[in-house]
Amino acid sequence: MSSEHNGDQYVREDAIPLPPKDAEVFTTGCDYCIAGCGYKVFRWPVKGPNGGTAASENALGVDFPAAAMSGSWVSPSMHNVVTANGKKQNVIVLPDPDMKHVNKNGDHSIRGGCIAQKCYNPDTPTRDRHQYPQLRVNGKLERVSWDDATDIMAQVSEYILEKFGVHAWGMKAYSYEFWENTYAITKLAYRSVKTPCFSPHDQPGPGGDAIGLRDVGIDKFSASYDDWGSAEVLFCSGTDPYETKTMIFNEYIKPAVDAGRQKLIYVLPRSTAGVAFAEKTGGLWLDLYPGTDTVLNIAILRIILENGWEDKEFIEKWTNNKWETDSGFGQGTRNTPWQWRTTWGKFSVKGFDDYKKWVLSQEWAELDAASEVTGVAKEKIQKAAEMLAKPINGRRPKASFGLEKGNYWSNNYTNSSSFACLGVVCGAGNRPGQMISRFGGHQRGGRSAGGYPRAESPEKVNGRRKRPIDLDRWMVEGNLRFAWVIGTTWIQAMAGSVDLDNAFKRMTVEQPSQVTSKNVASAVAAIKQRIDDGGMMVVNSDIYPCAPIGTEYADIVLPASGWGEHDFTRANGERRMRVFQGFYDAPGESKPDWWAVAQFAQKMGYEGYKWKDSNEVFEESARFSRGGRTDFYPIVWKAKKDGKKGHDLLSEYGTNGIQGPVRYEYGKLVGTKRLHDSTAKVPTPQGPTVVKKAHYAFNSQTGKLNFIKSPWEIFSDFFDFIKPQGNELWVTNGRVNEVWQSGFDDIERRPYITERWPDNFLEIHPDDAAARGIESGDEVLCYSDRVPVQMGAGFVVEGDDLTFTGLQKKGLIKLTQARVPAVAMVTPAMKKGVTFMNFLHKTASANALVPRVPDPISNRYRFKLGVAFVKKTGESPYKNDLNRMSFAPRIIT
Amino acid sequence: MSDEKNDMTTQTPTKGLPCLSRRGFLLAGSSATVVLAAGCAGFSFPKGTALRIVEYPRKRIASLSDVRAHRPISFSYPEPGPLYNSFLVQLDGEASGGVGPDNSIVAFSGVCTHMGGPLSGQYRRDHAVVGPCPLHLTTFDLRKHGMVVSGHGTDTLPQVKLEIENGEIYATAVMGLIYGLNRNTA
Repeated sequence: MSSEHNGDQYVREDAIPLPPKDAEVFTTGCDYCIAGCGYKVFRWPVKGPNGGTAASENALGVDFPAAAMSGSWVSPSMHNVVTANGKKQNVIVLPDPDMKHVNKNGDHSIRGGCIAQKCYNPDTPTRDRHQYPQLRVNGKLERVSWDDATDIMAQVSEYILEKFGVHAWGMKAYSYEFWENTYAITKLAYRSVKTPCFSPHDQPGPGGDAIGLRDVGIDKFSASYDDWGSAEVLFCSGTDPYETKTMIFNEYIKPAVDAGRQKLIYVLPRSTAGVAFAEKTGGLWLDLYPGTDTVLNIAILRIILENGWEDKEFIEKWTNNKWETDSGFGQGTRNTPWQWRTTWGKFSVKGFDDYKKWVLSQEWAELDAASEVTGVAKEKIQKAAEMLAKPINGRRPKASFGLEKGNYWSNNYTNSSSFACLGVVCGAGNRPGQMISRFGGHQRGGRSAGGYPRAESPEKVNGRRKRPIDLDRWMVEGNLRFAWVIGTTWIQAMAGSVDLDNAFKRMTVEQPSQVTSKNVASAVAAIKQRIDDGGMMVVNSDIYPCAPIGTEYADIVLPASGWGEHDFTRANGERRMRVFQGFYDAPGESKPDWWAVAQFAQKMGYEGYKWKDSNEVFEESARFSRGGRTDFYPIVWKAKKDGKKGHDLLSEYGTNGIQGPVRYEYGKLVGTKRLHDSTAKVPTPQGPTVVKKAHYAFNSQTGKLNFIKSPWEIFSDFFDFIKPQGNELWVTNGRVNEVWQSGFDDIERRPYITERWPDNFLEIHPDDAAARGIESGDEVLCYSDRVPVQMGAGFVVEGDDLTFTGLQKKGLIKLTQARVPAVAMVTPAMKKGVTFMNFLHKTASANALVPRVPDPISNRYRFKLGVAFVKKTGESPYKNDLNRMSFAPRIIT
Repeated sequence: MSDEKNDMTTQTPTKGLPCLSRRGFLLAGSSATVVLAAGCAGFSFPKGTALRIVEYPRKRIASLSDVRAHRPISFSYPEPGPLYNSFLVQLDGEASGGVGPDNSIVAFSGVCTHMGGPLSGQYRRDHAVVGPCPLHLTTFDLRKHGMVVSGHGTDTLPQVKLEIENGEIYATAVMGLIYGLNRNTA
């Protein structure tokens, strides 16, 4: 078992320099979770002078010592030394004490509070940032020029496109790291190359994630954070906001609970600090087995309907009746992405009465049966229904419903649709404190430059529709000849990752033809030969060496630059848009991904890539946001009118930003607090403003919601196969508060965090641990010989072909092996029978145990459904180490 | 562990002297770097702990005989006032930086490193933890030098360095920047 960090030690500093009065100030946001906290950067020369402790002597305008809760204390982790304009400069990256939203008054998470440590500084573990393009020569990465690297890429790409076509040329890229980059990337893929072989970092192919919400008619980011705070009951499905979007908890949820205005219901197999807090304050932990949300949601819904607690007035006014539902889920024409889902004939209902009849006739949703499948006590299910919907003195509770990946990454379609229907029955969706949305994962930095070329996709399902590709399966099947991987590990981030890793190996380094010279012609010839042999070329754009995709498999590694190094834009989970200003020099020859895309595109002879700076990309991309939830076109339109740059005008909105969609009204830019808002005035379109129905009604032809059946049967065959057999345990996975996402910033390069989490962990219930002789600090192995991987079925004729039973019958399910080590943490936080790991640890990848069989309805993975045997293999070095890894429970209240 | 302890205890303590300007960089277990560490008698940190210590005038906190397991003793160090609220407590078994029986007595700042919330009264004996902070629920592991167990502190809880002489426990230094300060030499 190997730890990821590079050996630097955490030194507890005893002082920080204060910024002088004349320090330069920049505004930015945190680079990490969806909350999207606002930060101010203070920059001044290292040679000083520094500011003094009196408010009149420093740029913070604060007397030191700073008062508790002032939000003005600068912790040592908030200071760094960078190079800006070629000179050494101090920077303080401070949670903005002037924030009126999100991280109000300078509150912050441990992740964002340490974000100054993200800046490149060769005296810190960030020293291994990529600085130059590299080419793998004789197995080793060697420095080459941008010109040579993009020459090789372009020549090989032209060869592939000519000989094999667009289906052999693919990209796998982050969907979040700023609009400028994602716009350029999708412009290249969708509009220039026109390839269907594209996939975001966390899905097998493009498209929505919580698709049940969409079909019901809900925009998944319609709520504002204020709605999470003003709900009287908050139903948190598949996430603890405390752990994963901390400011939504700290600044919206906790104050409401502390004031006695809100009770929390958590749906998770694992307790965390937020769950423990909820239970202590009169809330509820619905401790379900992974993947059983559909049964739980419908069981709660059934109790509500049996008692007549549904919001009749809301249902009457805002849901589609029999006639309104008729056409494509009330979405209008048949020729839509969701059209094919209706052809299954398994989801549509003819209005509320029909839905109610369906719910009441589902035996699996009866209380006894549901309690057995979900593992949640009957009393708790009953209590949840009462908390959500039972009127008190004739008044309904105001309930909001937030979901995340524990819900839709275990059984995507029916978990999210049953969740949405539960919310609708309780009257949520379009009013303050009564909303249904995702809480969100990472920030919303995806900007598509055009439509996905669906007609080119090799995947066709029953009915008439093609659907987006499963790029993982396409690659494993050996169809890709070129893969450009941007800012993602691809392998560890996807399901059944051992099999995926083997495929990459087979297609790249195990091929006979390898590059042996830095000479461009020679390198191109060698790679062309490999491609003719059935192999693949891999390019990896990233900021750090990324194992194994960059370190072992990539022919070319491109050095990316990012947060803090250029001006970028994106939105948070309440559509709040900000400019993240650049404030220091990117290291070496590293470049933003839009620039790298532009270099390559120009070499390919594509038009429209001569951007001079990121603002030009931003302005060009604006029209692709029109009518969307983060429509910022009016900002760019007004900036032009005022003779300003788009970035500059948005920067004027500072760290508080403006919420999309943005409208232009009477000479001013106006934001949108929530979508579907029945309490908002319907705006009159002015200037460039697009007013969509989603502003004031729901996302359907009628502006009303659909009820959608969520049959357990379409998933239960898979569930019965995957659930633990014999002595196996669930090995589910997710994030842990102290670590952001892939961990490259923190567990790998932030000694303070590395001490806390030096290795991946496995939280395990005391009974499960005792039965296996496991104590906290023991090294354990999670192992399985039955990780299912779907091998084909990209082209389907009959409806049942895509069910798990259908795939098995056709011999399309392969069982693979995985071995994942971890350090045991024995804790009552886990439900018995379920264990939990950090989801994206590079050297101990939880996704190795995860089935690569996507939901056939939505083509989304069931990441949370890992299963394995667990055994002790020894004692970890941390078991008796007083310096690293705490084994104290994380649920102490 | 005993070798490392010996390394440190062989240093000559500079007792009772104000050492505000003397910052030691101490790497426990590495005799090459403990040269700068003054006044660390009986002070045991595991190998690999990197510490920067600011020494203050030594202050008596309690008699060893007054210390009862799991009964925190509040004190203010190095200055008076709420910013400097600290507590001493005897845990079950050895702790990083502990003194006394089994190196089990430790002392920490009682002010949360997240937003300055008060940690007094939040000691949890079962798991040797202080917290959750009433403001935003951060907890700290007192066995592992104030490491965040769960929560938002962007640095460990500052640890007060202790030493024992003739049955009396003294505070002599602080490791880590105390919440609210820009430098520990107030």
